[in-house]
Amino acid sequence: MSGLLEADVLVAGGGMAGAIAALAARRAGRAVALVRRSPGATALSSGAVSVAPDLGALAGEPLASRRPPLEAAARLAAARPDHPYAVVGTARLGEALAFACEELAAALAPFDDRRRFLATLYGSAVGAGLCQRANVAGDLLSVRGLLAVAGFAGHAGFDARLVAGGLGRYVARGGPEPRAVEVALPAGLGALARPHELAGALDAPGAAEALGDALRAALPAGARAALLPPVLGLDPGARAVERVAARAGVPVAETLSDVPSVPGLRLWRALEARLAAAGVRVVQGELAAAPAPGEPVRAGDAMIQAPVWILATGRFVGGGIARRGVLAEPALRLAVQAAEGREAGVHLAVRPAASLTSRDRRRPQPLLSAGLRVDHALRPLDERGRPVHPGLHAAGAVLGGHEQATDGTGLGVAILTGYLAGLAAAEGR
Amino acid sequence: MADVYDVVVLGGGVNGTGVARDCALRGLRVLLLEKSDFGVGASGNSSGMIHGGIRYMLSDRKVTALACRDSGYIQRIAPHLLFRIPFLMPFASRREGATLRERAAWYATEVYVGTYDLYQPLKRGKPSTRLTAEELYAVEPGLRPGLAGAVTLDEWGIDAFRLCVLNALDAEAHGAEVRTWTEGRELLRGAGRVEGVRWRDVLTGEEGEARAPVVLNATGAWSPALARRNGARVPMRPGKGVHLTLDRRWSNYGVICSAVDGRQIFLMPHEAESIVGTTDDDFYGDPDDLEATSDEVEYLLEGAASLVPAVRSARVTRAWCGLRTTIFDYGPNEDALSREHQLLDGAAEGLAGLVSFVGGKLASYRAQAEEATDRIFALLGRPPVPCRTHELPLPGGDELPDPARLAAGGLVAAPVAARLAYRHGSRAREVLRLVEEDPRLGMVLCRDEGILAAEVVFCVRHEKVRRLQDLRRRCRVAVGACAGVDCARVAAQLAGRELGWDSERIRAELADLLDAGWRERRAILDGAQLAQEELLRGATGPLEVPW
Repeated sequence: MSGLLEADVLVAGGGMAGAIAALAARRAGRAVALVRRSPGATALSSGAVSVAPDLGALAGEPLASRRPPLEAAARLAAARPDHPYAVVGTARLGEALAFACEELAAALAPFDDRRRFLATLYGSAVGAGLCQRANVAGDLLSVRGLLAVAGFAGHAGFDARLVAGGLGRYVARGGPEPRAVEVALPAGLGALARPHELAGALDAPGAAEALGDALRAALPAGARAALLPPVLGLDPGARAVERVAARAGVPVAETLSDVPSVPGLRLWRALEARLAAAGVRVVQGELAAAPAPGEPVRAGDAMIQAPVWILATGRFVGGGIARRGVLAEPALRLAVQAAEGREAGVHLAVRPAASLTSRDRRRPQPLLSAGLRVDHALRPLDERGRPVHPGLHAAGAVLGGHEQATDGTGLGVAILTGYLAGLAAAEGR
Repeated sequence: MADVYDVVVLGGGVNGTGVARDCALRGLRVLLLEKSDFGVGASGNSSGMIHGGIRYMLSDRKVTALACRDSGYIQRIAPHLLFRIPFLMPFASRREGATLRERAAWYATEVYVGTYDLYQPLKRGKPSTRLTAEELYAVEPGLRPGLAGAVTLDEWGIDAFRLCVLNALDAEAHGAEVRTWTEGRELLRGAGRVEGVRWRDVLTGEEGEARAPVVLNATGAWSPALARRNGARVPMRPGKGVHLTLDRRWSNYGVICSAVDGRQIFLMPHEAESIVGTTDDDFYGDPDDLEATSDEVEYLLEGAASLVPAVRSARVTRAWCGLRTTIFDYGPNEDALSREHQLLDGAAEGLAGLVSFVGGKLASYRAQAEEATDRIFALLGRPPVPCRTHELPLPGGDELPDPARLAAGGLVAAPVAARLAYRHGSRAREVLRLVEEDPRLGMVLCRDEGILAAEVVFCVRHEKVRRLQDLRRRCRVAVGACAGVDCARVAAQLAGRELGWDSERIRAELADLLDAGWRERRAILDGAQLAQEELLRGATGPLEVPW
């Protein structure tokens, strides 16, 4: 182990919120150290970043919702005062999303404040404010005419007929006409290959091209685009989607993914590559029982000292919030006092699990949205509502009051709060 | 136009399916109606012990003898569905403060267990032994220190969900008509007697009438309400029993523990997991709306941790519950109620021909069904036909395949083959034949539970699956520690393909499957299981977003 690593900003957490915070502070010229344990929830991303739901849209009619993502986010903030969008405001959301797309251009498509409608593995459509490059050509309202939905012959993991059958109901709403086709599995892969194995194989030279050739042969006449399983390459630099499309002769896209997620791993790789290229010092480890910002803290094999800290440690999957009978924030022992639908307060953390959940699974679940309460500058608050420390910020899923996976914001909160926390940390130094 | 039967059986639990099988084997025309799926009530949510009811030896020696003998019969007709589970009943040392009274109690226990040994040969059980402290800690090192020894007790368990399914399938194979997700809504009455049932298919809305001179009400905890709706009474004391599933094997053997109130509970290894059970509390709520509560979870964990302290760090993956239908008795505590069974006759209430089943034990289901079938023959005025349910194997029970030989074909790994053999017996070969025909079905959907894609297809084709959630009970889809993250989508795809479901139906079925799991986890969300829940919601969230 080396000596003390000094930085202007210490970021804990290497998911979307932590990475965007680090990159924002870095762009402002600060020296940044980032401590991260594991890929976390960002690596489980479906490929889309929802940003904000259209609260006024008709249930079951996703294609009818046309409200631009930024406007939808502002409306969400107005309707939900405890949501992070409301706490920090959405005025700079467009700037934050554009920043993320620029920094992560290897994986993400540019942000243009337009809702895209992307197909899930179940043949339903989901509106997204932001998506990966691999999804763009699959925007259901951009394909006019025939959309080929291609599954791999001899593989049961992806059901092209199910996807095409589901998308069929959107034809009347302006969606393309879907048709299921089959292409051969990439060479060397059998019926039992897992998604990441398929994706890794397609990154290899020649493999994506071979798939493109096979797809071209299988395409029905007049196909305007092709939708494939979400396995088109793990390495964002390998550009498997573009290579398949070039040979197939039509634009190619993936459906969104479930878990385990190849698009999520691809996004995580893009984050890691960008952090390294931007000169962020990445340290493997986690902060445990850390003192306050300004003091040296152990993380993995390193001792790090920085006057400003950003906590972007995620929620339960990331480990930023944990529950062992009682809800707690393990790194700094901050109070967990925010949960959707529940008033802030210390008692929240000690309630039985069942009392923090609703019987209807599909309703917001306070327990699943528990986290830190912060002020408008993303400074965590103590039990009396005062900032814990002037040099401490928090971003992403460690913030309570929202459940990113089900409230229709996805990684939008991580990008906005990560960006703002990074800027605040850069100023606050 | 109504269909005509000799008997309509209401309820697809172990009693209902057991009676349907017996009646069908004896040549009666049978209709079985189950308003959801087989075993969803007390049967499938029991601990699955087909033990001899040692608890009842003093009060109900008949129950013990009947249960032991019938446990032996079940082992004969469904040898594949079984697991042997030796229990340890540890006792505290004198030094540690056991009172004279406690020591006397343990002496009595030994005598008691020794008496139980007389019944053990009936069910292929080994005689009890007494372990010294040294022997006890050698076999079960996770026990808390300071124990003086233990008495062992040999028992057997069974997959009770599949026991119900197999009884129903065999009934059908012998001519019975079996309908799941079909509710017997109303009894048809004639002059002073029942004449059949009006039913409704809850999935399709189809309605119909079934005429029969005898109706057997085996709807368990639902029978009082069913009776009330039809102007009759079925007195019972429904008791809620909660079990916890823990993420791994926290003991080598079953361990009998004493809960905070002195009642006996147990911790036992089961496949790759452990089960803690059982609570026993009066319950007069809606049987369709049953969930474990936080204090029931704590009661069980505290009791199990009193002897195996490491249980405190276990990840609880599910809390599941059912309602026992104990015979009504005013006065005794829940656990002191008799486990005898009764067949109540509706004649006194102007419903001659209606027989209601109350009480009983899983281990004695076959004998109970035999008695009920005898009664049905008497009511029909038919000459008796001998019962054969104790000698004819259930489907797959004719032979016990060797998992190593199943795996030797190279189609599946040995652990998956073992699960297939356990769940399907000789029919495991038919499952593997599907993989031979279509190698895609060799995909293992859940490495935890060893669920094979071909098994899902087999169950859908041959085991009366109508909803995705039925696969929870057929082959454990979405009941393992990951709660369906790995298996739910592909299982839904496979089932949907077999049953012709469109995309919307598949999503609705998935949502319903996830709802069932959520109800079992609400009270236990903690530690790693809470992270798992977040992961599951993230993975399935896009299913349900309305925008």
